[in-house]
Amino acid sequence: MRPALEPGDWLLLDPTVQAWPRRGSIVIVREPVSELLVVKRVAARPGDKVHWLGAPTRLDVDQAWLVGDDTARSIDSRTYGPVEQHRLVGRAWFRYGPIRRFGRL
Amino acid sequence: MSRLTEFLAPKTVVRAHCDVPCGIYDPAGAVTAARTVARMVELIGQIEPGSTALADRNKFVRCVTVKEQHAELVKHEVQIIWSDYFKPEHLAANPDLHTKVWNLLKLAGKNKQSIDVEAAAQLEASVKEFAEIFWSTKK
Repeated sequence: MRPALEPGDWLLLDPTVQAWPRRGSIVIVREPVSELLVVKRVAARPGDKVHWLGAPTRLDVDQAWLVGDDTARSIDSRTYGPVEQHRLVGRAWFRYGPIRRFGRL
Repeated sequence: MSRLTEFLAPKTVVRAHCDVPCGIYDPAGAVTAARTVARMVELIGQIEPGSTALADRNKFVRCVTVKEQHAELVKHEVQIIWSDYFKPEHLAANPDLHTKVWNLLKLAGKNKQSIDVEAAAQLEASVKEFAEIFWSTKK
């Protein structure tokens, strides 16, 4: 997620989010396949059109398209496809460490 | 102070790049396995034709077993990189990737079915080419 996030950043997340936050938001999700907690950016929301498996696809009511900022290295929706809402853990909104990078995301 | 830091520090770690640490994908395993298949075919060819000596029979069975296992390993290693690593933009740069992988996997199967120097050489070459495609995406 460079340059927005750096390894070792301390983040606060809002776990009360009920739906996919707006495009550009940084979210924590339980990743499909690996089931690990990962941080990605919402690139497209329910109802949006994305290109998946060689064809334009419309995202379902509970789906989002997540992409990492470091696109060359990130494993994200381009690999595992749309992510369903039950995988959403929270929205990262604030960085409280390191102190020199303190502030809203 | 360190106690305060410890108190404030997050308790949960999230990852940004990958399901496994970056750079863990490596076609080297497939290249070695394909080389092993070719070497086994070579060793089998060195056994005296028609020999019933126990040592030769033992060597034959061992070589066939290893050939079988490593041809399977080629398939496994290549399939993981193919399905988990490659992304649409890699495919755009290598439009015949799917066909190449398909042929490679069939070639691995052929090497299990037969003792064929030519097929083993083809498998080695195909895996080498697959590895080159992989590394070209890292540039």
